[in-house]
Amino acid sequence: MIPSLFLDPLQMWRDAINRLEGEANTMATGSLKSPELVRSLQQATAVSAGMQQGFDKMVDGYLRRANLPSRKQLAELVQTLERIEQKLDRLLPPDEVPRPARTRKPAATPVVAPSAPAAPAQAAPEAVAPAPKANQDASAKTKAKPAKTAKTASRSRRPAKA
Amino acid sequence: MATQARTSDADLALTERLRLEVERAVQRGLKGIELMGAEPPTVGRTPKTVLHRRGTVELVHYHALADEVYRIPLLIVMAPTNKGYVLDLAPGQSLVEFLLKRGYDVYMIDWNAPTAAERDLGLADYVLDFIPDCIRRVQQDSGEEDVNLVSYCAGGMLSLIYLALHPGGPVRNIACFTTPIDFSQMELFRAMSDEKAFDLDAFVNRNGVIPADFIRNGFDALRPASRVAGQIKLWDNMWNDQYVVGFRMMERWGNETLPVPGGYFREMTKELLRENALYKGTLTIRGRPVDLKQITIPLLHIAAQYDHIVPAACSQPLLGMIGSTDKEEVTLPGGHVSIAAGANAVKRMWPRLDAWLEGRSV
Repeated sequence: MIPSLFLDPLQMWRDAINRLEGEANTMATGSLKSPELVRSLQQATAVSAGMQQGFDKMVDGYLRRANLPSRKQLAELVQTLERIEQKLDRLLPPDEVPRPARTRKPAATPVVAPSAPAAPAQAAPEAVAPAPKANQDASAKTKAKPAKTAKTASRSRRPAKA
Repeated sequence: MATQARTSDADLALTERLRLEVERAVQRGLKGIELMGAEPPTVGRTPKTVLHRRGTVELVHYHALADEVYRIPLLIVMAPTNKGYVLDLAPGQSLVEFLLKRGYDVYMIDWNAPTAAERDLGLADYVLDFIPDCIRRVQQDSGEEDVNLVSYCAGGMLSLIYLALHPGGPVRNIACFTTPIDFSQMELFRAMSDEKAFDLDAFVNRNGVIPADFIRNGFDALRPASRVAGQIKLWDNMWNDQYVVGFRMMERWGNETLPVPGGYFREMTKELLRENALYKGTLTIRGRPVDLKQITIPLLHIAAQYDHIVPAACSQPLLGMIGSTDKEEVTLPGGHVSIAAGANAVKRMWPRLDAWLEGRSV
């Protein structure tokens, strides 16, 4: 695309957001180094946690009187059921999961990284740090170790639930 | 004439830009409505078997994707505050899948939310019970005596403490990423947990199990504007399906931060953050001193250049503190999470890890 003579307001807005984010983070983290602010924050957290606990207790009491389970109890029940299901699964005849032989040797060809779609995790500059030389001695030492005989039997197990 | 042509091209560029923005605005509206009713993104799809589960600890074995695997099984140790699926987000964005395709036999120690009965679990339970127990189970399952470790964040720290206490153990090699060692470099966490500002014992005694919200807020406090900015960027990129899917997977992972046992939190805060005992060499586990010099196996440490949680300076002393002669540290561009998951990790860290491990896995 040919560069436009007109300014791009949306790009300017995006740049401003990035700049604001960086500045706000720097300012906030700088402020957190102040013991007074940290003390106030911790006090606020303690008060809020206390209020939350008081509220939870009140709701629990109400639910108990109404003979109803709380969300937390239901979640615990679900987890317990899941654990029981997993244990039952292990008692059932297992599915066959192939076990390949343990005879692989390092490939002579270099690693080709798979192509991945762009993820929005923190962006980082494209420059790659120079890789230090690997310790050849240790590598050779490990390589010199004879590989054990491959297991040929395919042991069977049950796959985990999705 | 030439000036006229340039102006005309610029007008065209402006027209194209406007058209693109209108298209994106329409897409944002449509996809935004879709997103409101969308199910949470599916993560951790690589087929696996749960080998063992005991309370908070879970050991899984991923099904092989290669016809032939390396002799030594690989055990990934996750940090107790986060779910392991960050290393298995989706096909093509999964370190686990990459390692399986490269011929490794991959196991993972993943963590579940601790129950109220597990409130008193401490560092000793992790390094003297959970990790050695899982290693024994990997040995049993694989039929191999040797095991290699790959550990992430606090998982690395726990693995190193385990190794220091089990110098003659079955672990042959360890690769760890973003491992906290010198906690004096974690300035904000230290400030937040300062004893003048934070009554640790009262907090732990009141809560028992430390709520996930508290842990998440602690991480968020390091970059307080990023959550809001992330939502704005999500809206801006709503037209881009790949961005939205990636964002939602990472958001889900962040939101599913795990609660931790009060005992573990107490020791992490008191011994490591406040006293910096691991770095100073004064840490003891059930009376046994933790001396990192006892670690003599080959070690690779990968630090992230822009890590705001475990700054590179926090992990830098590691190589000097261990007794290994075969040791290496690599600092790669990226943040605490993007070093291990995401497009940058695919290009940078994964091949680096594979190159180091392959010769040490036979």
